Amino acid sequence: MDILIWIMAGTLLPWFPLSWIFNKLLASAPGFWAQALAILVFPQLGLLLLIHSGAWQALPVGLDPNLRVIALFTAVFYAFRAASTREVQVWARLMTTSGLALTWLLHGQNLDPLILQSVALSWSIPGALMLVWAGLLKQRMGGAYLGLTGGLATVLPRLSALVTLTALAASATPIFPNFFILFYVVKALPLLWIPGGLLVLLLWGWAVGRFLQDLLFGIYRGELLEDLTVGGTWLGGLVLGLFAVGGIFWGAHG
Amino acid sequence: MEILTIITPFLLVLSAIIIFLFLRSKRRISARVSVIATLVTFFLSLVMLGYYVVAGHSQVVHIGIHWGSIWLDPLSLIMWVFVSGISLLVHMYSVRYMVEEPNYTRFFALLDLMTAIILFMVSAADLVTLLVTWFLVGVVLYFLLGHDTNRPAAGRYAFWTQITYRAGDLPLWFAAFVLIKTYHSISLPVIFTQIQINPHLHAFWGLSIPELVGFLLAFAAFARSAQFLLHGWLPYTMDGPTPVSALMHAGIVNAGGFLFNRFAPVFEYAGGALHMAFIVGLVTAIIGSAMMLIQNDVKRSLGYSTMGQMGFMVMECGVGAFPLAIFHLIAHGFFKGSMFLSAGNVIGEARAHDGVPPDSIYTAIVERRPAKPSRLPWLAAAALTILVPVAVLTLSHFFVSSELLYEQGVIILLFFGWVTGAQALFATHKMTHTNPWRLMGGILESFVLVVIGYTLISHYFSNFLYPHGVSQKLYAAASINAFAFDALVIFLAFLFVGGWVLTFFADSSGWWDHVDKGRWRGAYLSMYALLSRELYVNDIYARLTQLLLVFSHRLNILLRWC
Repeated sequence: MDILIWIMAGTLLPWFPLSWIFNKLLASAPGFWAQALAILVFPQLGLLLLIHSGAWQALPVGLDPNLRVIALFTAVFYAFRAASTREVQVWARLMTTSGLALTWLLHGQNLDPLILQSVALSWSIPGALMLVWAGLLKQRMGGAYLGLTGGLATVLPRLSALVTLTALAASATPIFPNFFILFYVVKALPLLWIPGGLLVLLLWGWAVGRFLQDLLFGIYRGELLEDLTVGGTWLGGLVLGLFAVGGIFWGAHG
Repeated sequence: MEILTIITPFLLVLSAIIIFLFLRSKRRISARVSVIATLVTFFLSLVMLGYYVVAGHSQVVHIGIHWGSIWLDPLSLIMWVFVSGISLLVHMYSVRYMVEEPNYTRFFALLDLMTAIILFMVSAADLVTLLVTWFLVGVVLYFLLGHDTNRPAAGRYAFWTQITYRAGDLPLWFAAFVLIKTYHSISLPVIFTQIQINPHLHAFWGLSIPELVGFLLAFAAFARSAQFLLHGWLPYTMDGPTPVSALMHAGIVNAGGFLFNRFAPVFEYAGGALHMAFIVGLVTAIIGSAMMLIQNDVKRSLGYSTMGQMGFMVMECGVGAFPLAIFHLIAHGFFKGSMFLSAGNVIGEARAHDGVPPDSIYTAIVERRPAKPSRLPWLAAAALTILVPVAVLTLSHFFVSSELLYEQGVIILLFFGWVTGAQALFATHKMTHTNPWRLMGGILESFVLVVIGYTLISHYFSNFLYPHGVSQKLYAAASINAFAFDALVIFLAFLFVGGWVLTFFADSSGWWDHVDKGRWRGAYLSMYALLSRELYVNDIYARLTQLLLVFSHRLNILLRWC
């Protein structure tokens, strides 16, 4: 029974190789709204399963190093893969998987379940938003593949701004909560493990740098596209703004 | 005064938000709001510095509960005045320079945001604030450098800068975690006090905590200040708008020198890290200066000049002359800022006048000037070149702060001053002139004034920044075995003196041309080719990145993008 719980939890709050199933499930969801919802809900279900079955608390602290290796490997592996990805939906999935894997590193910290859930949610929110923006891009361009036309910032300034801010949030840029969560997670690691945690930060920087380069720069040579409405932009901006305020709140309370 | 402390950096955050949200289509008003906010910030910074000079005590102001504290000490206040001053000049210049560019208002908002973040960074009193602002400088700089989104090159070079900065963030994060885990506090004043109480706590790999942290901080500083092997991004930042280049080269790139100074209490016990900084700085100074000499693009040349200057600044930290590094970064900041902002004029001037040196026959026949202007006798020039800088530098330091003359760091700096001064005099000697004594006299007069001014200013500056004898501790930390040091200095002095005498002799007698017969031309050309390809550093990084990306792509295909 325990094994089954761990397998289900490892699929929903992903670690490699079960993360492959997590990504496959997300990719198979019908439509971008369903994908966004799934990326928000799956990790929460995984955490609830772990906490309410008692598996999270029952795991001996002695097993932490193994858990640490798996979680760090997953985070590094998916961040590394995100660096060569130009499809926005795939990028969002890989980056979110990388971030969510770090939640496992909080085992043994005696954290309130609500805090654990908000940690997982902080990785899911930018992922979900990015999946929505990718869906909107797909509606306009027939695909959300960056780097083919270039210069989307000129033709879709509002949508590009939201995609840019979301990508920054996903890659733990201050003042979004992910920065402070990453800080907390890496701080919880033993000293010699810290470089592993920081490698994730470097790879995210690489992934987001390449992503923005393909999104923003160049001269657009495609047909004219309809940008996001002003109302939609304000709504997206408001969600990201609230998320950033959450970061300040998180940071302020350590 | 606490209210003013909070208002000063937040004013520019406020102006950035106002421009972003409400003035996006109002170009002229947004520029005015931005310039006025920067002007007020500069004025407030001056007021705060003045208040410190009168009141004479540092204070920490807490804005947030857990982090977000501001440390008003001499270092922060000097940096506030410097950063806001440079930023004000850049703002005023940008009002007209950027007027025809798209996204004019966004540019000013980002400029305000960048200035505010740097102000927070240089005054951060806790590690979280320092990490947040250190990180954000890289992010905002990316968007400033990539202002012109129509140019893929701008994006590429902005990315180079961003990823180098990110690589440099990692050792700073690691250093922060080591300090937090050891001293159980994020407050910098608390951590520094604890280091003073127990400086020899053991970390690992046989290093003490200050030594380990010192090495990590030095690496973080190297990435920010474009030290050799982490320098590839700096010359290419020229692809950004000129005001951003000015801000970048006058302010942002100096962050390494600031970091050394902020963590001076750590470096008092991290001699090994200082020795490493000296070597890295020396190599960077030499390579940066060499690359500067072969550039044919005025902005790229200024970029490499900055690299050389940053090498020298890090080297100053490496010998323990921390306040001198701050003085250097301020002087270099204003100098390089003005050079960048006038680069356009220089290009315009070059278009009007080609600047090709006059031909001697043309000069004699058409301009009716003496065909063979004279030079000083080579022995007299060699004696002046070698002896005068030694005398001027030693005497000026002796009269200002004689106790420091015995510190190894000061001796090294004097040595460099001597080499630089002598080189300037040698270059003067090579210039032909109708009255060579007058020319040499003028140069010597300027040299004496510069040295005396520099000695006096750096002395008072040291006393202001480190009033409690910290300078001596830093010099002591950077020292090596006395015998080895003396032997090295004597060897180098003989090497330089011998080299100059030989050069003077060879230059005046034509002896070298007789001996060389073009045999070394191949070596010169190879060296030139190597330098013109920037020692292949960027090519190696590009190739490595390419390989990693191919591997990442193959993994994605293997796992079907899941």
